[in-house]
Amino acid sequence: MTSTRILTRRRLGTLGAPHAPVRVRQRRARGFVQVASIAASERLRISTFGHAYVGLGLVLVGILFYLALAAQVTQASYDITHLQDQQRQLIAEQDQLRYQEATLHAPAQVEQQAVQSGMQRTVPVTYVAGQPIAIDLQAPIGAPPTDSTPLWERALAVLVNRLGVARDAMAATH
Amino acid sequence: MITGLQFGAPNQKARHVPGRWRVIALLLAGALLAGAIWTRLAYWQVVQHVQLSAEAQAQYHELVELPAVRGSIFDRNMRQLVVNTTVYSAFVSPDQIPDNQRARVALALGSVLGADAGKVNQTLASGKKFAYIARRFSKQKADQLRSMLLPGVGLEEEQQRSYLPGISGSSLAANLLGFVNYDRAGQYGVEAYYQKQLAGTAGYISSYRDLANREIVLGTHTHQDPVNGSDLVLSLDSNIQYAAEQQLAAGVKRARAESGSVLIMDPKTGGIVAWADYPSYNANNFARTDPGLFLDNISSSVYEPGSVMKVVTLSGAINAGAISPDTVINDPGYVYVGGYRIYDWDRRNHGTITYTYVLAHSLNVGAMKAMLAEGHDNFYKYMQAFGLTRASGIDVAAEDVVPPPAAGKMQDSMYATAAFGQGIDVNMVQMLAAVNVIANGGRYAPPHVVERIGNRLNPILLAPQAQVISAATAQKMTAMMEQVVQHGSGWTSRIRGFELDQAGKTGTSQIPVNGRYTLDVWASFIGFLPAQHPRFTMMVVMRKPHFPGSDQDWTLNDGYMTAEPVWQKIAQTIVLDWRITPDPH
Repeated sequence: MTSTRILTRRRLGTLGAPHAPVRVRQRRARGFVQVASIAASERLRISTFGHAYVGLGLVLVGILFYLALAAQVTQASYDITHLQDQQRQLIAEQDQLRYQEATLHAPAQVEQQAVQSGMQRTVPVTYVAGQPIAIDLQAPIGAPPTDSTPLWERALAVLVNRLGVARDAMAATH
Repeated sequence: MITGLQFGAPNQKARHVPGRWRVIALLLAGALLAGAIWTRLAYWQVVQHVQLSAEAQAQYHELVELPAVRGSIFDRNMRQLVVNTTVYSAFVSPDQIPDNQRARVALALGSVLGADAGKVNQTLASGKKFAYIARRFSKQKADQLRSMLLPGVGLEEEQQRSYLPGISGSSLAANLLGFVNYDRAGQYGVEAYYQKQLAGTAGYISSYRDLANREIVLGTHTHQDPVNGSDLVLSLDSNIQYAAEQQLAAGVKRARAESGSVLIMDPKTGGIVAWADYPSYNANNFARTDPGLFLDNISSSVYEPGSVMKVVTLSGAINAGAISPDTVINDPGYVYVGGYRIYDWDRRNHGTITYTYVLAHSLNVGAMKAMLAEGHDNFYKYMQAFGLTRASGIDVAAEDVVPPPAAGKMQDSMYATAAFGQGIDVNMVQMLAAVNVIANGGRYAPPHVVERIGNRLNPILLAPQAQVISAATAQKMTAMMEQVVQHGSGWTSRIRGFELDQAGKTGTSQIPVNGRYTLDVWASFIGFLPAQHPRFTMMVVMRKPHFPGSDQDWTLNDGYMTAEPVWQKIAQTIVLDWRITPDPH
């Protein structure tokens, strides 16, 4: 059997540089590796069909691995969908609770609860004591009114008002 | 040894075909077959590629819209007025229900959803692919159905707006808020006006589904998140709103009126505190409501304001320097304008009186004289400045406005009647905002409902307010309006403890029908409190009241008998709720 190193040298047409003196221990270790690898390659020597089978096997293993992974992904996908459904239901429940809470605080609901509890609306006036205020509601406003319109103008207004013809009584407002 | 194929008749001499020809023949045959297959493949995969891939996509690919969550609406105390809730619709696929299961399915649907079992049976026997059994029911019922594991029955989720309860079966502030229809579009009120901001932008997910129509979440898909709608914070106070609705309903019933409305405003900002209409409706049940009730009488209908307008007329005249509160005039009880004799409401001769007296006793002649004193042009300019010739711009859908004719096209009689609020059409928002100028020291506070949109302040709050009249004029008018409450037609609005610190004005105007005034009236009262440091401005309008005994005396339908008591009771509630104390004197 020819080692790959020897083949390389042959191909390159060189004999190689003279070896430098090496330590005995190193030379022994290299020799052992070489021997072991040669022996292993001898044992594992397989035919072309063998290589094809190995390749096919590897491909099959790969496909199986991919299928397993895809199945897991699909399962995870379904789990996520299921969880999303659950989340939607919880959000719906939360919305309901939020509406209930808002309704419970609504003035109409509070009043209804109060009435059901037997509470009654009292006269809602309680003031801090202060000086009593007397109001004369009959008292005239300000000074007695005096008409500053010139006499001739008033007379003319009376005359015009008498002579005017009412075509329509306009709306009264108060 | 003969190799190859024999051709020709048996009696012919067999020809020897070399082996390579046989191989070539086989190869040719193979090539022809393969060519045929490849051609067919090319046809399906190249020529028909677009159509077939589209059909395939349609089978396993799905584009699902991800609806945006509609924004909530809160009152000024951050109390939620509208909540998004999930409701369910039940559908069946009759062709997927085995015959022996139909009776069980029909019974279950009937018992849980209250559906008519006969009709359900009919649907199940129809062999249709799809049919709805019930729409928009609660989660409790949906959970019940789910637990029954009925074959061929499915549930569909939908979002719904849920509104808080108000009085007697209606929802709170229904006419202000509006509602959202089944197509997720806001209808009426704030829901319609702020549709874009509330709705947000829907997203989508493009995903794949298996044979059982389950989504393959980890498959290739594209995803665009929805942008949720913005929340709105209103200036509304739900406690005051409820009190207003309660008192209004009671007032309308007592006065036997056709309808009534209450509008309350924050004098400083123009923010609406309460917006009540009676009769109203339940926005949670809009599909079964008379559409006539959706119309909002506050901003979507106009009326003739009557004597409330005198506040505007006299304020303008005082501000123009044409009159003062103490100016004395002669009021014989009527006056001629443009060939028409126009009377005071009581048709009495009042002699020489001041303008304070004119307002306190709501005399038309005095209002007309004030208008004439300042002149038509000035009067019109003040109508514009008080916002009575244009829309108020309130942020509620469908504001209705009937602007008066241009200044040059108004006849003398039109100016005269406009001076005391007849022949001029306004909506309640316009009128309240106009009178609120007095409460706000002469400045016009733009009326609005929404204070915040998401995290942004409503820009209207940051804009400077226009000075319509001077603060001194506003102060004078406030004093005159106090006299209305203390000595005039506003006496039924007095609140204990605030008798000297309360300003108001009544208004009663006849309703025109086909160009002639009828005996039906709009009765109103508008006022603010405390007069010197107002915390609210409120307006109450009653439409067509028929107060007991008014057949003999139409003045019983007047604002002081119908609108003022409602104003007084609501104001009393606000005083307590907001802990308002009278100003020291």
